[in-house]
Amino acid sequence: MSPPGPQGALRVGWSAMVDDYAIAGGWVRGGDGLVVGDAMGGIHAFNGKSGANTWSRQDAHEGGLLAMAVHPDGATFATAGQDGRVLIWDSTEDQPGQLIDVGGSWVENVAWAPNGEWLAVTCSRQVRVYSGEGEEVWRSEDHPSTVSAIAWSDAGELASACYGRVTFFEGSTGKQCQKLEWKGSLVSMVLSPDGDIVACGSQDNSVHFWRRSTAQDSMMSGYPGKPSALAFDATGTLLATGGGERVTVWSFQGRGPEGTRPGDLDLHVQPVTVLAFARRGMRLASGARDGAVVVWSLDEKGHGDPIGAAIVEDVVAGVHWRPDGRALAALDARGGVTVWRAA
Amino acid sequence: MNTHQKVPVTILTGFLGSGKTTLLNRILSEEHGKRIAVIENEYGEVGIDQALVIDADEEIFEMSNGCICCTVRGDLIRVLGNLMKRRDKFDYVLVETTGLADPGPVAQTFFMDDEIRAEFSLDGIVTLVDAVHIDQQLGRSDESTEQVAFADVMVLNKTDLVSGESVDQLEARLREMNRMARIVRSEQADVPVDTVLNLSAFNLDEALVRRPTFLEPEYPFEWTGVYSLEAGRYELSLAEGPDPTMSLVVRATQGRDDAELREGAEWCVRRYAEPAEPVRPGDEIPIGAHVSLQLQADGRKSFFLKLDSPVSVGLYAQHTAEEFDLRMMSAEGSVIQHVAERTWVAQHEHDDEVGSIAIEREGDVDPDLLNAWLGGLLQERGVDIFRMKGFISFAGEPNRYVFQGVHMLLDAKPDRPWGDSPRRNQLIFIGRNLDEEDIRQSFEACLV
Repeated sequence: MSPPGPQGALRVGWSAMVDDYAIAGGWVRGGDGLVVGDAMGGIHAFNGKSGANTWSRQDAHEGGLLAMAVHPDGATFATAGQDGRVLIWDSTEDQPGQLIDVGGSWVENVAWAPNGEWLAVTCSRQVRVYSGEGEEVWRSEDHPSTVSAIAWSDAGELASACYGRVTFFEGSTGKQCQKLEWKGSLVSMVLSPDGDIVACGSQDNSVHFWRRSTAQDSMMSGYPGKPSALAFDATGTLLATGGGERVTVWSFQGRGPEGTRPGDLDLHVQPVTVLAFARRGMRLASGARDGAVVVWSLDEKGHGDPIGAAIVEDVVAGVHWRPDGRALAALDARGGVTVWRAA
Repeated sequence: MNTHQKVPVTILTGFLGSGKTTLLNRILSEEHGKRIAVIENEYGEVGIDQALVIDADEEIFEMSNGCICCTVRGDLIRVLGNLMKRRDKFDYVLVETTGLADPGPVAQTFFMDDEIRAEFSLDGIVTLVDAVHIDQQLGRSDESTEQVAFADVMVLNKTDLVSGESVDQLEARLREMNRMARIVRSEQADVPVDTVLNLSAFNLDEALVRRPTFLEPEYPFEWTGVYSLEAGRYELSLAEGPDPTMSLVVRATQGRDDAELREGAEWCVRRYAEPAEPVRPGDEIPIGAHVSLQLQADGRKSFFLKLDSPVSVGLYAQHTAEEFDLRMMSAEGSVIQHVAERTWVAQHEHDDEVGSIAIEREGDVDPDLLNAWLGGLLQERGVDIFRMKGFISFAGEPNRYVFQGVHMLLDAKPDRPWGDSPRRNQLIFIGRNLDEEDIRQSFEACLV
């Protein structure tokens, strides 16, 4: 039995399969291509419009792939895995252009600086930053625990999250510029694009955030599960948070979100796994354990309605808007890659 | 969204040098052909090709609320979270902790994190005990005490390096601390793999199918004598001895060989967990019940046994026959010799802070009273209660209920129907400085 077709704003596009759980992916060359990495360590490139497989490379990361990040110019991307390596690929070639041997343990996060000059990676308790050519620029001292997330601000600062702490580094030098402390296991982190607001999901089912300019911080508790999915919209106004079947959207407009009623997006029947805002406008895509992908149209207070929905065959592992916002790709736990046109 | 078999996880704990890595390698070589992932927290020489060995720093994450039962192992959440994504999933996961690890956060990780709980089931906690050094370690460190307290299985290793008598004493001490755990003795960690893997120790309904009790025998009796008797009335005569009372269970149809004696011992351990009925000189001793012979009076005292048909009876006595010059006599007054006897490694009083309390009781329990009592107890003493297991017969409920807890986390669920089997209750607490009398009385008060 095939699932029902897409509804509302989502229109049939194409679908494909990779060899295992689709861990990570991203649009390349402005949406002409889509690259996907799987749990067996394979990398697969697809034509963005037709879905034709343009190249695949199995076992690029022995043991499995853990993370992927597309370069801001859209031409290259970086992958990382359990083999302790980072590979940098030209999106049109099935051979990595650069190989960085980070160390003996898993490389769990990779992120390009918005200016495209630096690639930050995490390996156990360390953050390291490399140039696009794979030269090490700096490395941090050991954090108190394994680094769980990293993020860049538009200004070129790098933030890292670990148990009990968020640390800010100067992107070019690695100089530590700020430490924010909170006793809790921070499992996810996002930055507002200007870098002023840091939001973290915590193992104890709460979201903690700091405003760096005013040194104000707040904790939003009461989530039924741990908020591992977080997303900021491009203007830094709305923070969408998972942590249960509902998506809770906090608005930083005015004096909020403290004392305001958040948007409560209620349609999923199992916990939300992934969230992504389109680059322009207030469109949010959410994916959940039940295989549902929903597109929401929100106002500046974070309230809104579903405008499109579709079902994939397994737990949604990723949702990625095409840079122009006119298509949405979903990756799932069975290895499915599904692309819809977005009206 | 898929229903699938959860991957079982076994936790191996024990002090440095207790033989964890030896046992790990033994498991891996005997279980070849299975896909096993090993998460190691300290350097060890694991040298088996087909196993995926992941070194991870032990990362203990407390929560902002400060609750100790919310403390989890962040490294396990991260590593297991990634492992479970692969299609060719692992058949088994072994977690080897550092020697100084507190097993609580490891176990709690499998209850507290929804994603981990959805994919993995904690199969059991195996604690390696170094027979040479554990006596000193138990006195000196909380960690080794907690590793004993949390265990489902204790592998008493290096028994070849100490005398048999010391091993007996050590075993009695460990049993006193944790009556839930099975104790297996070994040299060089050489134990059958099925004694440490696939225990379903945290899946109580399954565990109960294999063994209808959580209680491991600690032998509250020192001596058993087996007598082959015809129908008739017999006199049990005791001289003055060291104590004013003596506990006794008379078991019918008792065999003579060692396996049959052990089987009888297991059965009698559970009778001993029930309250003893006082029996005065001149009274008849009921068969199959826990009695307390009242020996306060001077001189020899006689008790009686009445048998309707020929039977072989086993006397499971708190003290040895010698201590009270116990004699079995026929109605004509002739002394009857036992056909088999054995002494047991008796439980000794230790001053360990950590101990077990076992309650075994027939009858039905009022659910509201039990919930109120257990809820309060775990709230107040949860920090000191390491493990708790049990099954309960709720009044009016056709199904048996099984309970288990780790610190304040309590899981209760209905199990299979009682059917024709006798409805009874069993609860075991392993904890620090627990007031046994208070817990017993509070439980009694929950009975209908």
